[in-house]
Amino acid sequence: MTGAKDRMREKKMKNQPRNVIYTSSGRSTGRGQGSQACGWVRGHQPGGHSYSQDLPKYITASSFAKARAAEVNAMLKAVSKPAGSCHIFTALPKHMRRRALSHSTKRLPSRLREGAQRLAERSQRAPEKEKKQEPRSRSRRARRRHGNLLLEFNRRQRKNKWLETHIWHAKRFHMLKTWSYCLPLKPTAKSFRASYRAMNTHALLQDLSYFCCLELQGSEEEMLRALARLTSKQTGPTFAAASCLSGARQGSVHLYKADQFPEGSLGPADFLWRPRVPDASDRQLWIWIHPALKQDVLSELQLVCQCFEAVSVSEESRPALELPAGRKRKRDEADAEQPSKRLLGDGTRPAGAPVRWQSPDTAITISDLTMEIVRYRLIGPLAHVVLTDTLHPASEEPSSRSTDEAGVSVHQQQTDIFQLLRGVCSTAELPAGCVLGLTVDDPRLTLPQKRGKSVPDLQQSAEDSGVRDLTLKGVAAHCSQSALWDASARDRVTHNRLSEQELNRRRTELLVPGSRLSAAPQAAVPLLLVHQGGRVRGEERLHWGSGWDLLLPKGWGMAFWVPLVYRGVRVGGLHMSVKHSQFMGQPHFPHDYPDCPAGQRFQSEQEAELLQKFKRRPPSKRTNYIKHGCLAPFRCPWQQLMEEWEELLNMSAETTGSCRTGPFTVLRSLKALRRLSAWSHPSSRRSSSALTHATAAALQKECRASLVWVRLRLLGKGQPALHAMVCIPTTSDLQLLLKDAHSSGPQEPQHKDHIKRLRQTTTGPEDPARAVRGVYPAPLPSVLPHCSRLTLGWVTQGDFSLAAGCGEALAFISVSGLLHTILQQPQEQRGLVLLRNPSSLQYRFARISIDV
Amino acid sequence: MVRFKSRYLLCEVCVPDRSSLQLLEDRTIYNTLRAAVNRAHGDYGSALFNIGVIVKYLNAHTGVVLIRSRKKHYRLIWSALSFITCLENRGQKVQCFLNCLHVGGTIRTCQKFLVKYNRQQLHRMLPDCKTDAEKQEVRRAILSCSLSNVREEEADEDGSDDDGDEET
Repeated sequence: MTGAKDRMREKKMKNQPRNVIYTSSGRSTGRGQGSQACGWVRGHQPGGHSYSQDLPKYITASSFAKARAAEVNAMLKAVSKPAGSCHIFTALPKHMRRRALSHSTKRLPSRLREGAQRLAERSQRAPEKEKKQEPRSRSRRARRRHGNLLLEFNRRQRKNKWLETHIWHAKRFHMLKTWSYCLPLKPTAKSFRASYRAMNTHALLQDLSYFCCLELQGSEEEMLRALARLTSKQTGPTFAAASCLSGARQGSVHLYKADQFPEGSLGPADFLWRPRVPDASDRQLWIWIHPALKQDVLSELQLVCQCFEAVSVSEESRPALELPAGRKRKRDEADAEQPSKRLLGDGTRPAGAPVRWQSPDTAITISDLTMEIVRYRLIGPLAHVVLTDTLHPASEEPSSRSTDEAGVSVHQQQTDIFQLLRGVCSTAELPAGCVLGLTVDDPRLTLPQKRGKSVPDLQQSAEDSGVRDLTLKGVAAHCSQSALWDASARDRVTHNRLSEQELNRRRTELLVPGSRLSAAPQAAVPLLLVHQGGRVRGEERLHWGSGWDLLLPKGWGMAFWVPLVYRGVRVGGLHMSVKHSQFMGQPHFPHDYPDCPAGQRFQSEQEAELLQKFKRRPPSKRTNYIKHGCLAPFRCPWQQLMEEWEELLNMSAETTGSCRTGPFTVLRSLKALRRLSAWSHPSSRRSSSALTHATAAALQKECRASLVWVRLRLLGKGQPALHAMVCIPTTSDLQLLLKDAHSSGPQEPQHKDHIKRLRQTTTGPEDPARAVRGVYPAPLPSVLPHCSRLTLGWVTQGDFSLAAGCGEALAFISVSGLLHTILQQPQEQRGLVLLRNPSSLQYRFARISIDV
Repeated sequence: MVRFKSRYLLCEVCVPDRSSLQLLEDRTIYNTLRAAVNRAHGDYGSALFNIGVIVKYLNAHTGVVLIRSRKKHYRLIWSALSFITCLENRGQKVQCFLNCLHVGGTIRTCQKFLVKYNRQQLHRMLPDCKTDAEKQEVRRAILSCSLSNVREEEADEDGSDDDGDEET
């Protein structure tokens, strides 16, 4: 490094005299014959010298003498002080100097030895001092002490929230930072098939605590009136559905902006009512939404309930004084005063951000319960077996909570129902969405010594009448009651949790090692078990992917996670939840919601990511999408598709009605979906409304510029990929299929790459948007007639489906295009379309089905 | 181990008029010397000059110049010194000649010689002084040289002295 070399050189040359010349700076006139230092430089002096200064006319002898004297002194100084070397070694006469003196001080005479040692120390320290003063980091041991680690983790959670099971996941999963959370994406081990098998036959566990919970409190009529503006009856049961209103079932709705159905869709949400308490008139409602939606839904809710004044704000988490159970070594008191505590709850919220809003008119309170409740999802037919193995209902009922006989019996009833669960063969047998409240002991007390796999109990017979009642009617409303709904109860339970250290200490104090620990009376945990119906729409594989959701108060995450994992469940991440939705045939938020603002944001991000990946490959190894005729491999232009279909149909029908140029929507109204589903079926049974041009035109007018979510199943070979094109088969294609049921399908002729030729001819400056070779530049040409078959839509999720045994794709198709297709197809072959991957020229046959 | 040995030529610039010495710069000396070598020894000389010649020290007050060159070719440079008749700087010509005082193998030996030489010069100046004030100045200068010499030899590290700047 030149810095060090220069410094060494300077150190050696500091005694050498410098050139003495006349310069033009003012200093020399002031000091008379002062010499200006210019340094021992090789070559020429830097900067020009102008002789503007008045040079003395005569040099007298005195000045000459002075100059000589000065020179002599300078020379003497240079001569007497040897360059660079210290006085220790020059103090020795020449015949006593040895080479080994510089590294071993023992060869020096004793009078010089201390000086030499000091010198050696200084030279050791000197290079460190010359470096930049780095903050001295503590030793690895100090950094990894528990308290310091906790502080470090708390600091890292300021930007991205950590789930309670973060550290467990971080050791075993690839993590992803999105939506201000750090979430597990995929296991590091190769386990796709094993996870699918677990979902199919045993149980799969996921940590879904990143879903945000918004709580509404108020009178029922006010709330229903406000919320009715956010949903529409046409999409299915709303917040006021009878089964859900009592609190016995969980429901799911699709939220829209206030009074803007069918446009302005926000996204899906799950909701849960608290069962009616006989004396209180206020009701509580929990709405669970995806974190990408949270800000939109919160602002809409505030608008609709008119809650704008913030009541309470979030406060800084103060470390509570906690004496550690057993101290391994003595520490001074000052150290143990404020032990750092793990950050529970939302760490990214700045202190002072409002968490609760109240409305003076409607008396509704909205609270933001993000990260207050831990949510685990168990998917699979043996999920209930895992739960019954892990959870044990509380042996003693704490008297503080229920004073009367009715309270005790609720807990007893809940326990009875929980025991009945063992007799159920599969989780799918229970009615979807039923809710069971429960109070359980700490599951760490009954942690097995070794990991095992929970198997169903074959002893209990399924002919028990209780079990039959359970499977037919579900859980009664009063058994869905739980103390989890009270904020005070939650806080108390979180606070009363035994730490791991305390638990281990108790284990060591047991007389018989390995026996079960006695439960602490205050540590009974209230929780909610919510059943998730799997696939509820459609006709095949019903109830695939059903499971249970476990809702816990915060702080108890790891206490329940480890016992669950010890029962032999597989753990999945975000990737697995996408696959779960895909196998169920349901849209997954935010991948499959192109009309919601969060979905559009997700699509832009996905486009950027795919483009980056594409650009990373060398240009000659990339797929040339232009030659394959694929206009939109990264992002689907839905708006353009809608507009072109409208134009096409308007031209053919010769109607003078103005086509709607508004934003596109996704068709969600159940009636229309049922009719479409019936029409796209090739069966010849009589449906309520037969397909004619008139009825089709009526439907089309009803839902203009909308997309519909369909499931495509490939007839033969082929695996659909992301953004594959769904196209209309021509009559010749259908006849080809009739002749040979196993034909592979037509092929697309290769397109010419005009852009490449254009780029080669024009050598002017190109804007960077056109720079990507092989992808169509920004203003896309007309989407519909680009390929030899008309485009209907694009696939958003496509893969080989392990559940179905063939390739399956989930796609969005324009409604007008679908009607146009179905009308032209013969009865037996209705609903057949062509599917083409973006990087291939082969069309494959597929069958549409719309699940209702 | 092969090393580049050099020779240091300690020269003095002698001018009839001492006041014209002020325009001295090491670039001036260098360029003049290069021209002289070129005239005297041609292309061969210029090439040799290019390799290892540099002006190491220059004192415009006393006219002392220290030139360094390679050991193989110092005689060549030395011989060209005698051909320098004038120094040219920014259009002003100064008539002079370079007088070589000492040839040394290291800078240190040249410095030692310079000390001795300067002392001799000072001693020689003393009887030539015309006025009393001058004599006092010269005496003071001599004393400062010798006393500081003694002082320096006794102390280990003495950073207190400046370059002997004395203000009038």
